[in-house]
Amino acid sequence: MSMGMVQDEKYRNNQKRKDGFISLFIGIFAFVWIFPILWTVFTSLRPYNDVISYGIFSWPRHINFNNYINAVKEMHIGIYLTNSLIVTIPSVILTLFFGSLIAFVVTRYQFKFNLWLLLLFTAGNMLPIVLTYIPVFWMFLWVGDLFGNRNMLYNNYAGLILVHVGFQVGFATFVLSSYMKTIPKEISESAKIDGANVFRHYWNVILPLLRPALAALSVLMSTWIYNEFFWALVLMSDDSKRPITSALRRLQGQYVTDFNLLAAGAIIAASPTVILFFVLRKQFIAGLTLGSTKG
Amino acid sequence: MSEEKNVLSRRTVLKGAAIGGAGLAAGSALSAGTASSASAAGADIHWTTRGGGATGDAIAKAVNDAFTAKTGTKVIAQQVNSDDFQNNFAQIMQGSPDDAFGWMAGWRSNHYGEAGLLADVTAQNKALGKSLPASAVQAATNPVDKKQYIIPTTYYPWGLHYRKSMVKKIGMNPESIVHWDDLIKMMSLTKKNGLVAYAMGDKQGWEAMGTFDILNARVNGYKYHIDLLNGRAKWTDAKTKETFKYFAQLIPFMNPNFMDIDWDGCRDLLLQKMCGAMMMGSWFANDFKAKSQKDYDDLWVVPFPEINKAHGIDTIDAPLDGISVAAKGKNVEGGKALAQFWGSKEGINAAIGAGDTNIYVSKDFDTSGYDAFGKQKLAVLGSAKNIMFFADRDSRGDFAGPILGPALQSFMKNPKNVNKILENTQAQWEALPKN
Repeated sequence: MSMGMVQDEKYRNNQKRKDGFISLFIGIFAFVWIFPILWTVFTSLRPYNDVISYGIFSWPRHINFNNYINAVKEMHIGIYLTNSLIVTIPSVILTLFFGSLIAFVVTRYQFKFNLWLLLLFTAGNMLPIVLTYIPVFWMFLWVGDLFGNRNMLYNNYAGLILVHVGFQVGFATFVLSSYMKTIPKEISESAKIDGANVFRHYWNVILPLLRPALAALSVLMSTWIYNEFFWALVLMSDDSKRPITSALRRLQGQYVTDFNLLAAGAIIAASPTVILFFVLRKQFIAGLTLGSTKG
Repeated sequence: MSEEKNVLSRRTVLKGAAIGGAGLAAGSALSAGTASSASAAGADIHWTTRGGGATGDAIAKAVNDAFTAKTGTKVIAQQVNSDDFQNNFAQIMQGSPDDAFGWMAGWRSNHYGEAGLLADVTAQNKALGKSLPASAVQAATNPVDKKQYIIPTTYYPWGLHYRKSMVKKIGMNPESIVHWDDLIKMMSLTKKNGLVAYAMGDKQGWEAMGTFDILNARVNGYKYHIDLLNGRAKWTDAKTKETFKYFAQLIPFMNPNFMDIDWDGCRDLLLQKMCGAMMMGSWFANDFKAKSQKDYDDLWVVPFPEINKAHGIDTIDAPLDGISVAAKGKNVEGGKALAQFWGSKEGINAAIGAGDTNIYVSKDFDTSGYDAFGKQKLAVLGSAKNIMFFADRDSRGDFAGPILGPALQSFMKNPKNVNKILENTQAQWEALPKN
């Protein structure tokens, strides 16, 4: 009895020590992760002149929100935010729609080339997008010239949306198909027996069951497409049509860059995704573990 | 049965995709159609401002509005980030470019002009006539086909910057840093005080080119420097090695962390009175003014000291900017007219009225309102008879950034390796595709 008590205590102490270690590690890593963000916030509150006169690591002489006020004035935030929404919302909807269609076919029906199709979509995901930039650029011009309007895809929202859909649909297919595999076959079978045609089977039976996966994916994809800068930069020659990431580039000069102003701008530009994350935290985490418990 | 269904479902998928795709295409054709027809109907001119924030927009608006008032043609302006525009220049020019824009003289306009992406503006430069100095027109001319692809407007000097008060403090006269020995003495005394004697920041790889350019021009003269950068002289020549001997003398006076800081790190050293001298383009005086008028009054710039009597101080790095016209724009003639207006007296006055602080090459440019530092900048520019545009504009683009920049970095890290580095540089030059 007393032996057991001692052992228990030993065990508990051991456990406590382990917990302590783990907390310490988590604390250190959390700090490493959060530090750049805290530093950005700190930087954004200091005037530029303060930093260049006294050094980056100096004690702040002035703390104020002037950088935020100036950033909002300089960034023309309304235009760029609207552009981001014009691009992001259709891109996400179309990606999920096409992704779920393909996933539906490859998981609910047995074709010989199912696996190959899935592989093709996943492999396309591995291609670095910068490699495809020049071909996409020429293709857009060529298609435009074919219809007699150079700006049909190039320098047009539609082109940007198309590119995003093209590059994201592979990942969406991959995730949705592995999620769809967890939906019991019997559901599909009974739907067929009840006389549902293919589209009804997809739209009324499978799609509602996909809701958690779609929610999770849409949050992930919105963040990715919202944060995307490369395609918007190279496929839009009009700055007034570029998304919010381009507004930040307005704050950088040819030689002199006010990094404090830029820090404030970065926080403003990042805030929608951060807010989105906190509102839809559950879906976000679900998205990260999606398909990991495949039956 | 089930196979039939499968076929059907595949069709449905395809149909869905087709409808989606067609919808997209139709939507885009609609929106783009209205945009393009609008610009084709009126003879609007599109203009790109390269950076500059709110001031850049204000200057563009002032000049373009003045143009509209004069000619009745509407100008649609936009601002883009300078680096992004430069890095994607070839694609932008081949897509649907704006008609006229601010651009850079030297290789960057000559090369794209030869490639058929920039319009020939020789006639516009001729029309500006005597207001443009002959040297500026010469500088804007492509040496190969003798055409001009840019209307020269503004430039700025590269010089040796320091604080007058700090030079006085070490017992020297800030007005007479004129010879290499003066510079060595100044740096030695500064170093003795525990400060950085020659601020260098070469993280990006281009900053040290300013020092190299001027050393080579001082030691071997303008002609040799330009020949070297264009393959008519060799990096392994004894003359080139001589330049690097002088460069090596500077290295012990530099801050050891030159690979970790940008040019603005150097500026901060000078602003915080932590370094003696800094060789840099003179574009940051406003940062001194922002700290205090006293700091601004303390800032000084002189031509880089003389090394070889034969060449004196006859050469300077003064990158020339100007206005170019896209050859594949929708309104090339309109673009040319607008570009010419930017280089004319009316255009310059409109720009300055809107807060432009650049130095214009035009003889119509009024400098009477300049303060002491501004006047000194003009004096530094006036001291030279040969103008270099900086290594990355005097040489081809695939040499300066990717080859010369890293070579200078490795030289400063290990100056003893100079022979090997120069051999390497020469070999890399020879391996470049001929065009």
